[in-house]
Amino acid sequence: MDKVFVIGRDEIPSKVVLGAGESLRATFVALPGASAHLSLTVELTGEGAELDAAGLFVCREAENVSIEMNVRHLAGRCRSNQMFRGIADGRSRVRFNGLIYVEQDAQKTEAYQSCHSLLLSEGARVETDPQLEIYADDVVCSHGAAIGYPSADELFYMRSRGIPEQEARRLQIISFLSPVLSRLPEEFYSLIGFQS
Amino acid sequence: MSDILLDIRDLHAGIEGKEILHGVNLTIGYGEIHAVMGPNGAGKSTLGAVLTGRPGYEVTSGTVTFAGRDLLAMTPEERSWAGLFLSFQYPIEIAGVTMTNFLKAAVQARRKAAGLPELSAGEFLALMKQKMALLKMKPEFAKREVNVGFSGGEKKRGEIFQMAMLEPVLSILDETDSGLDVDALKIVADGVNSLRTPETSAIIITHYQKLLEYIVPDVVHVLKEGRIVKTAGRELVDVIENEGFEAING
Repeated sequence: MDKVFVIGRDEIPSKVVLGAGESLRATFVALPGASAHLSLTVELTGEGAELDAAGLFVCREAENVSIEMNVRHLAGRCRSNQMFRGIADGRSRVRFNGLIYVEQDAQKTEAYQSCHSLLLSEGARVETDPQLEIYADDVVCSHGAAIGYPSADELFYMRSRGIPEQEARRLQIISFLSPVLSRLPEEFYSLIGFQS
Repeated sequence: MSDILLDIRDLHAGIEGKEILHGVNLTIGYGEIHAVMGPNGAGKSTLGAVLTGRPGYEVTSGTVTFAGRDLLAMTPEERSWAGLFLSFQYPIEIAGVTMTNFLKAAVQARRKAAGLPELSAGEFLALMKQKMALLKMKPEFAKREVNVGFSGGEKKRGEIFQMAMLEPVLSILDETDSGLDVDALKIVADGVNSLRTPETSAIIITHYQKLLEYIVPDVVHVLKEGRIVKTAGRELVDVIENEGFEAING
Protein backbone atom coordinates (compact mmCIF):
# COMPACT_ATOMS: atom_id res chain seq x y z
CA MET A 1 0.00 0.00 0.00
CA ASP A 2 1.06 3.54 -0.66
CA LYS A 3 2.02 6.09 1.88
CA VAL A 4 -0.65 8.70 1.44
CA PHE A 5 -0.10 12.34 2.38
CA VAL A 6 -2.77 15.00 2.38
CA ILE A 7 -0.98 18.19 1.40
CA GLY A 8 -1.42 20.89 4.04
CA ARG A 9 -2.66 18.42 6.66
CA ASP A 10 0.06 15.80 6.98
CA GLU A 11 3.68 16.51 7.70
CA ILE A 12 5.67 16.07 4.51
CA PRO A 13 9.46 16.38 4.54
CA SER A 14 10.87 18.86 2.07
CA LYS A 15 13.64 16.46 1.10
CA VAL A 16 13.95 12.69 0.91
CA VAL A 17 17.20 10.83 0.17
CA LEU A 18 17.00 7.32 -1.23
CA GLY A 19 20.22 5.30 -0.94
CA ALA A 20 21.23 2.11 -2.75
CA GLY A 21 18.31 -0.27 -3.10
CA GLU A 22 15.92 1.97 -1.18
CA SER A 23 12.48 2.80 -2.49
CA LEU A 24 9.61 5.13 -1.79
CA ARG A 25 6.04 4.80 -3.00
CA ALA A 26 3.95 7.79 -2.04
CA THR A 27 0.77 9.54 -3.12
CA PHE A 28 0.08 13.20 -2.40
CA VAL A 29 -3.44 14.54 -2.31
CA ALA A 30 -4.74 18.11 -2.44
CA LEU A 31 -8.30 17.91 -1.13
CA PRO A 32 -11.06 20.20 -2.38
CA GLY A 33 -11.79 23.33 -0.38
CA ALA A 34 -8.26 24.04 0.84
CA SER A 35 -5.30 25.71 -0.80
CA ALA A 36 -2.20 23.57 -0.68
CA HIS A 37 1.48 23.84 -1.40
CA LEU A 38 3.83 20.90 -1.89
CA SER A 39 7.55 21.33 -2.38
CA LEU A 40 9.52 18.13 -2.41
CA THR A 41 13.04 17.20 -3.41
CA VAL A 42 13.91 13.54 -3.81
CA GLU A 43 17.55 12.56 -4.27
CA LEU A 44 18.40 9.12 -5.56
CA THR A 45 21.95 8.70 -4.29
CA GLY A 46 22.63 4.96 -4.50
CA GLU A 47 22.34 2.39 -7.30
CA GLY A 48 18.93 0.81 -7.68
CA ALA A 49 16.99 3.43 -5.70
CA GLU A 50 13.38 3.82 -6.79
CA LEU A 51 10.79 6.53 -6.48
CA ASP A 52 7.16 5.93 -7.36
CA ALA A 53 5.30 9.15 -6.66
CA ALA A 54 1.78 10.16 -7.61
CA GLY A 55 -0.39 13.13 -6.87
CA LEU A 56 -3.99 14.16 -7.10
CA PHE A 57 -5.58 17.59 -6.93
CA VAL A 58 -9.30 18.26 -6.84
CA CYS A 59 -10.02 21.97 -6.99
CA ARG A 60 -13.66 22.92 -7.13
CA GLU A 61 -13.91 26.55 -6.02
CA ALA A 62 -11.12 29.06 -5.51
CA GLU A 63 -8.31 26.83 -4.25
CA ASN A 64 -4.73 27.73 -4.97
CA VAL A 65 -2.59 24.62 -5.38
CA SER A 66 1.09 24.57 -6.20
CA ILE A 67 3.25 21.53 -6.60
CA GLU A 68 7.00 21.65 -6.99
CA MET A 69 8.80 18.39 -7.57
CA ASN A 70 12.55 18.17 -7.86
CA VAL A 71 13.75 14.66 -8.57
CA ARG A 72 17.54 14.31 -8.68
CA HIS A 73 19.22 11.23 -10.07
CA LEU A 74 22.71 11.30 -8.56
CA ALA A 75 23.58 7.60 -9.02
CA GLY A 76 23.18 5.13 -11.86
CA ARG A 77 20.49 2.50 -12.40
CA CYS A 78 17.82 4.34 -10.47
CA ARG A 79 14.20 4.68 -11.46
CA SER A 80 11.70 7.42 -10.82
CA ASN A 81 8.12 7.80 -11.87
CA GLN A 82 5.88 10.75 -11.08
CA MET A 83 2.27 10.79 -12.11
CA PHE A 84 -0.02 13.71 -11.31
CA ARG A 85 -3.70 14.02 -12.21
CA GLY A 86 -6.16 16.70 -11.23
CA ILE A 87 -9.20 18.76 -11.98
CA ALA A 88 -9.63 22.52 -11.78
CA ASP A 89 -13.13 23.95 -11.50
CA GLY A 90 -14.53 27.30 -10.36
CA ARG A 91 -11.86 29.95 -10.10
CA SER A 92 -9.10 27.68 -8.84
CA ARG A 93 -5.42 28.07 -9.65
CA VAL A 94 -3.04 25.17 -10.10
CA ARG A 95 0.66 25.37 -10.72
CA PHE A 96 2.90 22.38 -11.34
CA ASN A 97 6.67 22.66 -11.59
CA GLY A 98 8.52 19.44 -12.10
CA LEU A 99 12.23 19.04 -12.58
CA ILE A 100 14.02 15.84 -13.43
CA TYR A 101 17.76 16.26 -12.98
CA VAL A 102 20.15 13.50 -14.08
CA GLU A 103 23.81 13.85 -13.14
CA GLN A 104 26.54 12.90 -15.60
CA ASP A 105 27.46 9.69 -13.74
CA ALA A 106 23.88 8.56 -13.32
CA GLN A 107 23.90 6.22 -16.32
CA LYS A 108 21.04 3.77 -16.96
CA THR A 109 18.61 6.15 -15.31
CA GLU A 110 14.91 5.72 -16.00
CA ALA A 111 12.82 8.76 -15.17
CA TYR A 112 9.23 9.57 -16.07
CA GLN A 113 6.92 12.39 -15.19
CA SER A 114 3.41 13.27 -16.25
CA CYS A 115 0.92 15.91 -15.14
CA HIS A 116 -2.53 15.82 -16.74
CA SER A 117 -5.21 18.31 -15.79
CA LEU A 118 -8.85 18.58 -16.64
CA LEU A 119 -10.27 22.10 -16.81
CA LEU A 120 -13.91 22.22 -15.78
CA SER A 121 -14.57 25.95 -15.98
CA GLU A 122 -13.36 28.91 -17.94
CA GLY A 123 -12.47 30.69 -14.72
CA ALA A 124 -9.99 28.04 -13.61
CA ARG A 125 -6.34 28.16 -14.56
CA VAL A 126 -3.65 25.48 -14.70
CA GLU A 127 0.00 26.13 -15.44
CA THR A 128 2.47 23.31 -15.85
CA ASP A 129 6.18 23.60 -16.28
CA PRO A 130 7.95 20.28 -16.68
CA GLN A 131 11.71 20.43 -17.07
CA LEU A 132 14.39 17.92 -17.87
CA GLU A 133 18.03 18.58 -17.05
CA ILE A 134 20.07 15.63 -18.21
CA TYR A 135 23.87 15.29 -18.23
CA ALA A 136 24.18 11.51 -18.66
CA ASP A 137 23.87 9.96 -22.12
CA ASP A 138 22.55 6.48 -21.42
CA VAL A 139 19.14 7.26 -19.94
CA VAL A 140 15.44 6.83 -20.63
CA CYS A 141 13.48 9.91 -19.65
CA SER A 142 10.10 11.29 -20.58
CA HIS A 143 7.79 13.96 -19.41
CA GLY A 144 4.35 15.00 -20.47
CA ALA A 145 1.98 17.69 -19.42
CA ALA A 146 -1.52 17.98 -20.80
CA ILE A 147 -4.37 20.32 -20.00
CA GLY A 148 -7.71 19.64 -21.55
CA TYR A 149 -11.47 19.79 -21.34
CA PRO A 150 -13.77 16.82 -20.74
CA SER A 151 -14.41 14.88 -23.94
CA ALA A 152 -17.77 15.61 -25.54
CA ASP A 153 -17.76 12.16 -27.16
CA GLU A 154 -17.38 10.42 -23.80
CA LEU A 155 -20.17 12.49 -22.33
CA PHE A 156 -22.52 11.74 -25.22
CA TYR A 157 -21.70 8.03 -25.14
CA MET A 158 -22.71 7.82 -21.49
CA ARG A 159 -25.84 9.93 -21.89
CA SER A 160 -26.91 7.84 -24.89
CA ARG A 161 -26.99 4.90 -22.46
CA GLY A 162 -29.35 6.79 -20.19
CA ILE A 163 -26.75 7.97 -17.67
CA PRO A 164 -27.96 11.44 -16.60
CA GLU A 165 -25.62 14.28 -17.54
CA GLN A 166 -24.53 15.07 -13.99
CA GLU A 167 -23.72 11.42 -13.24
CA ALA A 168 -21.93 11.11 -16.59
CA ARG A 169 -19.73 14.10 -15.71
CA ARG A 170 -18.91 12.52 -12.34
CA LEU A 171 -17.91 9.25 -14.04
CA GLN A 172 -15.81 11.21 -16.52
CA ILE A 173 -13.83 12.78 -13.71
CA ILE A 174 -13.39 9.45 -11.93
CA SER A 175 -12.19 8.01 -15.22
CA PHE A 176 -9.68 10.81 -15.69
CA LEU A 177 -8.35 10.57 -12.14
CA SER A 178 -8.41 6.77 -12.02
CA PRO A 179 -4.66 6.12 -12.49
CA VAL A 180 -3.99 7.98 -9.22
CA LEU A 181 -7.35 7.39 -7.53
CA SER A 182 -6.77 3.64 -7.74
CA ARG A 183 -3.74 4.04 -5.43
CA LEU A 184 -5.82 5.53 -2.64
CA PRO A 185 -7.88 3.86 0.09
CA GLU A 186 -11.64 3.80 -0.45
CA GLU A 187 -12.40 6.61 2.03
CA PHE A 188 -10.75 9.12 -0.32
CA TYR A 189 -13.63 8.80 -2.77
CA SER A 190 -15.90 10.62 -0.34
CA LEU A 191 -13.13 12.96 0.88
CA ILE A 192 -12.69 14.29 -2.63
CA GLY A 193 -16.43 14.51 -3.16
CA PHE A 194 -17.27 11.27 -5.00
CA GLN A 195 -19.14 8.28 -3.71
CA SER A 196 -17.52 5.15 -5.09
CA MET B 1 -51.60 2.48 -29.35
CA SER B 2 -50.60 3.18 -32.90
CA ASP B 3 -48.61 0.62 -34.89
CA ILE B 4 -46.01 3.22 -35.69
CA LEU B 5 -42.94 3.37 -33.48
CA LEU B 6 -40.83 5.91 -35.34
CA ASP B 7 -42.06 8.49 -37.78
CA ILE B 8 -39.51 10.77 -39.44
CA ARG B 9 -40.97 13.49 -41.64
CA ASP B 10 -39.04 15.74 -43.98
CA LEU B 11 -35.98 15.79 -41.74
CA HIS B 12 -33.33 18.32 -42.65
CA ALA B 13 -30.21 18.22 -40.49
CA GLY B 14 -26.50 18.70 -40.60
CA ILE B 15 -23.37 19.69 -38.78
CA GLU B 16 -21.44 22.96 -38.58
CA GLY B 17 -23.93 24.76 -40.81
CA LYS B 18 -23.69 22.17 -43.56
CA GLU B 19 -26.91 20.35 -44.37
CA ILE B 20 -26.39 16.58 -44.79
CA LEU B 21 -29.92 15.20 -44.60
CA HIS B 22 -32.10 16.90 -47.20
CA GLY B 23 -35.61 15.82 -46.25
CA VAL B 24 -35.62 12.26 -44.94
CA ASN B 25 -38.96 10.43 -44.56
CA LEU B 26 -39.00 7.10 -42.75
CA THR B 27 -41.70 5.19 -40.87
CA ILE B 28 -40.98 2.16 -38.72
CA GLY B 29 -43.60 -0.04 -37.10
CA TYR B 30 -43.28 -2.09 -33.93
CA GLY B 31 -41.48 -5.39 -34.51
CA GLU B 32 -39.90 -4.36 -37.82
CA ILE B 33 -36.29 -4.48 -38.93
CA HIS B 34 -35.28 -1.85 -41.41
CA ALA B 35 -31.98 -1.68 -43.24
CA VAL B 36 -30.64 1.71 -44.28
CA MET B 37 -28.03 1.20 -46.95
CA GLY B 38 -26.07 3.67 -48.98
CA PRO B 39 -22.63 4.71 -50.11
CA ASN B 40 -20.13 6.50 -47.87
CA GLY B 41 -21.11 10.08 -47.20
CA ALA B 42 -24.81 9.51 -47.88
CA GLY B 43 -25.77 10.64 -44.38
CA LYS B 44 -26.34 7.24 -42.75
CA SER B 45 -24.35 7.94 -39.58
CA THR B 46 -25.76 11.48 -39.44
CA LEU B 47 -29.23 9.95 -39.25
CA GLY B 48 -28.18 7.84 -36.24
CA ALA B 49 -26.53 10.85 -34.61
CA VAL B 50 -29.55 13.11 -35.07
CA LEU B 51 -31.99 10.50 -33.78
CA THR B 52 -29.97 10.00 -30.59
CA GLY B 53 -29.33 13.73 -30.05
CA ARG B 54 -25.59 13.88 -30.53
CA PRO B 55 -24.34 17.41 -29.67
CA GLY B 56 -23.11 19.34 -32.68
CA TYR B 57 -25.80 18.06 -35.03
CA GLU B 58 -28.52 20.55 -35.88
CA VAL B 59 -32.00 19.86 -37.08
CA THR B 60 -33.13 22.69 -39.32
CA SER B 61 -36.62 21.39 -40.11
CA GLY B 62 -38.84 18.36 -39.98
CA THR B 63 -40.29 16.22 -37.18
CA VAL B 64 -39.46 12.93 -35.51
CA THR B 65 -42.10 11.17 -33.45
CA PHE B 66 -40.99 8.23 -31.31
CA ALA B 67 -43.63 6.14 -29.54
CA GLY B 68 -45.97 9.10 -29.83
CA ARG B 69 -43.53 11.64 -28.40
CA ASP B 70 -41.52 14.47 -29.94
CA LEU B 71 -38.09 12.86 -30.04
CA LEU B 72 -36.20 16.01 -31.03
CA ALA B 73 -37.32 17.81 -27.86
CA MET B 74 -35.69 15.18 -25.63
CA THR B 75 -32.16 15.02 -24.17
CA PRO B 76 -29.96 12.04 -25.13
CA GLU B 77 -30.64 10.35 -21.77
CA GLU B 78 -34.41 10.89 -22.09
CA ARG B 79 -34.29 9.28 -25.53
CA SER B 80 -32.53 6.29 -23.98
CA TRP B 81 -35.13 6.06 -21.20
CA ALA B 82 -37.84 6.15 -23.87
CA GLY B 83 -36.29 3.03 -25.43
CA LEU B 84 -33.87 4.26 -28.08
CA PHE B 85 -30.42 2.71 -28.39
CA LEU B 86 -27.50 3.39 -30.71
CA SER B 87 -24.75 0.85 -31.25
CA PHE B 88 -21.82 3.15 -32.01
CA GLN B 89 -19.70 2.68 -35.08
CA TYR B 90 -16.71 3.70 -32.95
CA PRO B 91 -17.47 2.85 -29.31
CA ILE B 92 -15.81 5.23 -26.83
CA GLU B 93 -13.21 4.11 -24.28
CA ILE B 94 -13.77 5.12 -20.67
CA ALA B 95 -10.69 4.22 -18.64
CA GLY B 96 -11.09 3.49 -14.97
CA VAL B 97 -14.82 2.73 -15.20
CA THR B 98 -15.74 -0.97 -15.32
CA MET B 99 -18.48 -2.31 -17.58
CA THR B 100 -20.33 -3.26 -14.39
CA ASN B 101 -20.27 0.26 -12.92
CA PHE B 102 -21.06 1.83 -16.28
CA LEU B 103 -24.09 -0.37 -16.87
CA LYS B 104 -25.22 -0.13 -13.27
CA ALA B 105 -25.41 3.66 -13.65
CA ALA B 106 -27.32 3.26 -16.92
CA VAL B 107 -29.75 0.57 -15.75
CA GLN B 108 -30.55 2.25 -12.43
CA ALA B 109 -31.13 5.64 -14.07
CA ARG B 110 -33.45 4.02 -16.56
CA ARG B 111 -35.42 2.26 -13.80
CA LYS B 112 -35.68 5.49 -11.86
CA ALA B 113 -37.03 7.28 -14.93
CA ALA B 114 -39.61 4.51 -15.34
CA GLY B 115 -40.67 4.83 -11.70
CA LEU B 116 -39.25 1.41 -10.80
CA PRO B 117 -37.21 0.67 -7.66
CA GLU B 118 -33.44 0.31 -8.04
CA LEU B 119 -32.12 -3.21 -8.46
CA SER B 120 -30.18 -4.58 -5.50
CA ALA B 121 -26.51 -5.39 -6.10
CA GLY B 122 -27.39 -9.09 -6.27
CA GLU B 123 -30.26 -8.58 -8.70
CA PHE B 124 -28.07 -6.43 -10.94
CA LEU B 125 -25.26 -8.99 -11.05
CA ALA B 126 -27.77 -11.74 -11.84
CA LEU B 127 -29.06 -9.67 -14.75
CA MET B 128 -25.51 -9.09 -16.03
CA LYS B 129 -24.80 -12.83 -15.82
CA GLN B 130 -27.97 -13.75 -17.65
CA LYS B 131 -27.30 -11.32 -20.52
CA MET B 132 -23.64 -12.29 -20.74
CA ALA B 133 -24.63 -15.95 -21.04
CA LEU B 134 -27.10 -15.02 -23.78
CA LEU B 135 -24.30 -13.39 -25.77
CA LYS B 136 -21.71 -16.06 -24.85
CA MET B 137 -19.41 -13.58 -23.13
CA LYS B 138 -16.73 -14.49 -20.64
CA PRO B 139 -17.37 -13.46 -17.01
CA GLU B 140 -14.16 -11.34 -16.93
CA PHE B 141 -15.83 -8.98 -19.38
CA ALA B 142 -17.85 -7.40 -16.56
CA LYS B 143 -14.68 -6.30 -14.78
CA ARG B 144 -12.99 -4.74 -17.77
CA GLU B 145 -12.86 -0.98 -18.25
CA VAL B 146 -15.38 0.26 -20.81
CA ASN B 147 -13.97 -0.52 -24.27
CA VAL B 148 -10.37 -0.12 -23.05
CA GLY B 149 -8.06 -2.55 -24.82
CA PHE B 150 -11.00 -4.22 -26.59
CA SER B 151 -10.44 -5.62 -30.07
CA GLY B 152 -12.73 -4.36 -32.84
CA GLY B 153 -14.93 -7.44 -32.46
CA GLU B 154 -15.07 -7.13 -28.67
CA LYS B 155 -16.16 -3.51 -28.93
CA LYS B 156 -19.06 -4.41 -31.21
CA ARG B 157 -20.08 -7.35 -29.00
CA GLY B 158 -19.84 -4.98 -26.05
CA GLU B 159 -22.32 -2.68 -27.77
CA ILE B 160 -24.77 -5.55 -28.32
CA PHE B 161 -24.30 -6.55 -24.69
CA GLN B 162 -25.21 -3.02 -23.60
CA MET B 163 -28.23 -3.27 -25.87
CA ALA B 164 -29.22 -6.51 -24.13
CA MET B 165 -28.90 -4.85 -20.72
CA LEU B 166 -30.94 -1.79 -21.69
CA GLU B 167 -33.71 -3.66 -23.56
CA PRO B 168 -34.46 -0.89 -26.06
CA VAL B 169 -37.61 -0.65 -28.14
CA LEU B 170 -35.67 0.68 -31.13
CA SER B 171 -32.02 -0.20 -31.72
CA ILE B 172 -29.95 1.59 -34.30
CA LEU B 173 -26.91 -0.42 -35.33
CA ASP B 174 -24.51 1.99 -36.99
CA GLU B 175 -22.09 0.05 -39.19
CA THR B 176 -21.92 -2.66 -36.55
CA ASP B 177 -20.47 -4.95 -39.22
CA SER B 178 -17.51 -2.73 -40.07
CA GLY B 179 -14.21 -4.28 -39.08
CA LEU B 180 -15.75 -7.63 -38.12
CA ASP B 181 -14.67 -10.98 -39.53
CA VAL B 182 -17.37 -13.51 -40.41
CA ASP B 183 -17.22 -15.27 -37.02
CA ALA B 184 -17.62 -12.02 -35.09
CA LEU B 185 -20.37 -10.96 -37.47
CA LYS B 186 -22.30 -14.17 -36.74
CA ILE B 187 -21.95 -13.69 -32.98
CA VAL B 188 -23.23 -10.12 -33.23
CA ALA B 189 -26.10 -11.14 -35.53
CA ASP B 190 -27.07 -14.06 -33.27
CA GLY B 191 -27.12 -11.64 -30.35
CA VAL B 192 -29.36 -9.17 -32.16
CA ASN B 193 -31.68 -11.94 -33.35
CA SER B 194 -31.95 -13.46 -29.89
CA LEU B 195 -32.98 -10.08 -28.45
CA ARG B 196 -35.74 -9.66 -31.00
CA THR B 197 -39.34 -9.53 -29.77
CA PRO B 198 -42.61 -8.75 -31.59
CA GLU B 199 -42.55 -5.26 -30.02
CA THR B 200 -38.94 -4.26 -30.69
CA SER B 201 -37.59 -2.78 -33.87
CA ALA B 202 -34.18 -2.09 -35.34
CA ILE B 203 -32.51 0.07 -37.93
CA ILE B 204 -29.46 -1.60 -39.44
CA ILE B 205 -27.18 1.00 -40.99
CA THR B 206 -24.67 -0.60 -43.33
CA HIS B 207 -23.16 -0.41 -46.75
CA TYR B 208 -22.53 -4.12 -47.11
CA GLN B 209 -25.10 -6.85 -47.59
CA LYS B 210 -23.22 -9.39 -45.46
CA LEU B 211 -24.83 -8.56 -42.09
CA LEU B 212 -28.26 -8.65 -43.74
CA GLU B 213 -27.76 -12.34 -44.55
CA TYR B 214 -27.84 -12.97 -40.82
CA ILE B 215 -30.26 -10.27 -39.66
CA VAL B 216 -32.99 -10.37 -42.25
CA PRO B 217 -34.66 -6.99 -42.75
CA ASP B 218 -38.36 -6.50 -43.42
CA VAL B 219 -37.76 -3.25 -45.28
CA VAL B 220 -34.69 -1.90 -47.09
CA HIS B 221 -34.06 1.79 -47.73
CA VAL B 222 -31.37 3.30 -49.87
CA LEU B 223 -30.03 6.61 -48.61
CA LYS B 224 -28.14 8.68 -51.17
CA GLU B 225 -27.02 12.27 -50.89
CA GLY B 226 -29.17 12.88 -47.83
CA ARG B 227 -32.42 11.46 -49.18
CA ILE B 228 -34.09 8.08 -49.17
CA VAL B 229 -34.25 7.32 -52.86
CA LYS B 230 -35.74 3.82 -52.74
CA THR B 231 -37.69 1.69 -50.28
CA ALA B 232 -38.49 -1.95 -50.96
CA GLY B 233 -38.43 -5.42 -49.42
CA ARG B 234 -35.36 -7.53 -48.72
CA GLU B 235 -34.96 -8.34 -52.44
CA LEU B 236 -33.45 -4.85 -52.81
CA VAL B 237 -30.34 -6.11 -51.01
CA ASP B 238 -29.60 -8.44 -53.93
CA VAL B 239 -30.15 -5.69 -56.47
CA ILE B 240 -27.61 -3.52 -54.64
CA GLU B 241 -25.21 -6.44 -54.34
CA ASN B 242 -25.37 -7.09 -58.09
CA GLU B 243 -25.64 -3.59 -59.49
CA GLY B 244 -24.22 -1.28 -56.82
CA PHE B 245 -25.72 1.90 -55.39
CA GLU B 246 -25.14 3.67 -58.71
CA ALA B 247 -28.06 1.80 -60.23
CA ILE B 248 -30.53 2.81 -57.48
CA ASN B 249 -32.18 6.08 -58.29
CA GLY B 250 -35.71 5.84 -57.00
